[in-house]
Amino acid sequence: MRNYKVRLKVGAAVTVASIALGLGGARADEIVIGASIPLSGPLAGFGSFEQWGYKRAVDEVNKAGGISIGGTKQMVKLIIRDDKTDPNATASNTESLISRDKVVAMLGSCTPALVNAGALVAERAKKPIVTACDPLEIFKSVRKWNYAWDLFFSVPELAAAQFKALTDLGVQTNKKVAIWHDNGPDGQAVGGAIWPALAKEFGYEVVQNAEFPVDNTQFTSIIAEAKSKGADVVLGDAITPQAIAIRKQMAAAGYTPKVLNIEKGAEPVQFAEALGKLSDGIMVGGYWDPSFPYPGAADLAKAFESETKLTSSQHIADSYAAAQILLDAIAVAGSTDPEKINAAIAKTDKTYVVGPVKFDAEHTSKLPIVSLQWQSGKTVIVWPKASATGHFLFPMP
Amino acid sequence: MPEIGIVLSTVVSGVLLGGMLALTALGLSIVLGVMRLVNLAHGDFLVVGAYAGFFFLKFTGVDPLVGLPVIALLLAALAVPLYHFLLAPLSTRGPEAQMMTMFAVSIILENVFVLAFSADTRTIERDYATLPLTFGSMTVPLIYVIGFSIAVALILMVHWLISRSGFGRDLRASSADAQAAEMLGVDVKRVQMLSFALGAACAGVGGTLIGAAFQFGPSSGGAYLLNSLAIVVLGGLGNVLGTLAGGLALGFLQSIGGLVLGDGYRDLVGMALFLLVLAFRPDGFLARARS
Repeated sequence: MRNYKVRLKVGAAVTVASIALGLGGARADEIVIGASIPLSGPLAGFGSFEQWGYKRAVDEVNKAGGISIGGTKQMVKLIIRDDKTDPNATASNTESLISRDKVVAMLGSCTPALVNAGALVAERAKKPIVTACDPLEIFKSVRKWNYAWDLFFSVPELAAAQFKALTDLGVQTNKKVAIWHDNGPDGQAVGGAIWPALAKEFGYEVVQNAEFPVDNTQFTSIIAEAKSKGADVVLGDAITPQAIAIRKQMAAAGYTPKVLNIEKGAEPVQFAEALGKLSDGIMVGGYWDPSFPYPGAADLAKAFESETKLTSSQHIADSYAAAQILLDAIAVAGSTDPEKINAAIAKTDKTYVVGPVKFDAEHTSKLPIVSLQWQSGKTVIVWPKASATGHFLFPMP
Repeated sequence: MPEIGIVLSTVVSGVLLGGMLALTALGLSIVLGVMRLVNLAHGDFLVVGAYAGFFFLKFTGVDPLVGLPVIALLLAALAVPLYHFLLAPLSTRGPEAQMMTMFAVSIILENVFVLAFSADTRTIERDYATLPLTFGSMTVPLIYVIGFSIAVALILMVHWLISRSGFGRDLRASSADAQAAEMLGVDVKRVQMLSFALGAACAGVGGTLIGAAFQFGPSSGGAYLLNSLAIVVLGGLGNVLGTLAGGLALGFLQSIGGLVLGDGYRDLVGMALFLLVLAFRPDGFLARARS
């Protein structure tokens, strides 16, 4: 009997707490949107920037009085759940956002595995989701989307950027290239197919093409082989922990190619923070920089750095733009009806902080590509020359 | 067939790394031997060691290798209340209750890491961690040589402690038959507490070495726990020198796997070996030598 009373009290307390914390669902006078993003796990370096970008866009709208729905201004509530860099968690979080949090629309996670997992759930539930951080060709290959929208870079353009950059910058190498890529969907597409074809097109000899699991930690044999084959150029595709491991193990193996490019993992600032001087000279494709001539670009980076005291990343821009696109669409729809919001997203035609955004029939909008290089803990644009914000460091120190 | 330089570099690096991995597994082995507890938070203890080394360097400016005794003591000091308040009260409830408790501790620690240190991937930045040692056509990382030397020295010290000291005699007695040891006047709970602290101290040292040689983050513990389990099974439960042999064997075989199948298949080789030993020699491949 006593146990029963205790349980009853605990149950009541949990119920009251849930209501107080707003866990019971949406209020009638607010617009609830949600996102499942990686705030822990290997991709946490991306998630923290995404969170900031999403929150900033929502905060700006709320500061301006909210969004008019049926003639009444309503505040926007953003619910963020941590997917721990696990696609299964992204899917279950997205289910929870829809069924428990009653969101009217959502924002995406980061990297194809996570974004696609959430987008598929949203698609099934017919809830619009605007995302970035998912290379367009991989996003399009999943299915014909009706409710998911992606703004990011095109894989072939990103893959070609480094070859074009090396050509335009007049870099002198022995034209031997080693390709190291993980076995994730984008790693296989870029490292397994696109880079080898481009190498041939640009007159490079592929002396090694090594694939490894996404969470691989040891690269000793791969590095030793590239070193013995004398590759002057190394192109890598790996997530951040592995990108850091690769660079450290290359140094410990005494292997310094003239050019080292690591897609994906070399993007977040934690990559350079973890490596210190070893990050100098490493190249990575980019799609945004505060120097871009788009409205609010410089201010966005300044706002991030003054608020967080951290170095900004390009991921603040695409996430901020994705959230703005969704909020603009809700405003245009003037409704929280997912179908009306989805129809408004389709009509997006505006220049955001990442550049002009207009979705094509396959629900994608392409961002421009540049080549970045880490120099003293910051990225500088080294290609195209017209957009360059610094000199190209060659060969890699 | 890869060039001889690649083969030598990979295999020697693998064996050196195996020595370091043996140290990371030592704490798990000791606790398993004495308390019959599979400490599922062992990987997270290693991560605590890595963070301790990272922040020791950051706040004191002193090389974490110099600070290894401090880090070991810190981990041991953290382990004592964990044993006292969480594990000791459950000692009569069988090993499952303690194991599940440590599983909960593991989850809590991972979340504490995220809250306290962010989810960023980190590494202990030292010049010697990225310098190569070259002998002819063979190149091995200097940090592997340093880590191997420290690991082997520490493992031999622990072996001496267990085989020659009074505490070691009590530990061996508690490990063989806790009830009989207690009847003969051994304070088994104290021995278990000190063993748990010793295991954590070893994890602290191993974690710092791992943090210097590789990268780590809040969720890195799981992978090291898996490797440690494989080493403990290879070397025999609670067998200190067996743990060293298990680490060296795992490092050697993983490097062969890396050479033949590619670096991505190192873990596959390790785990396949783990299952084979479990199936055919569940007491470890040094079992006969011990008996």
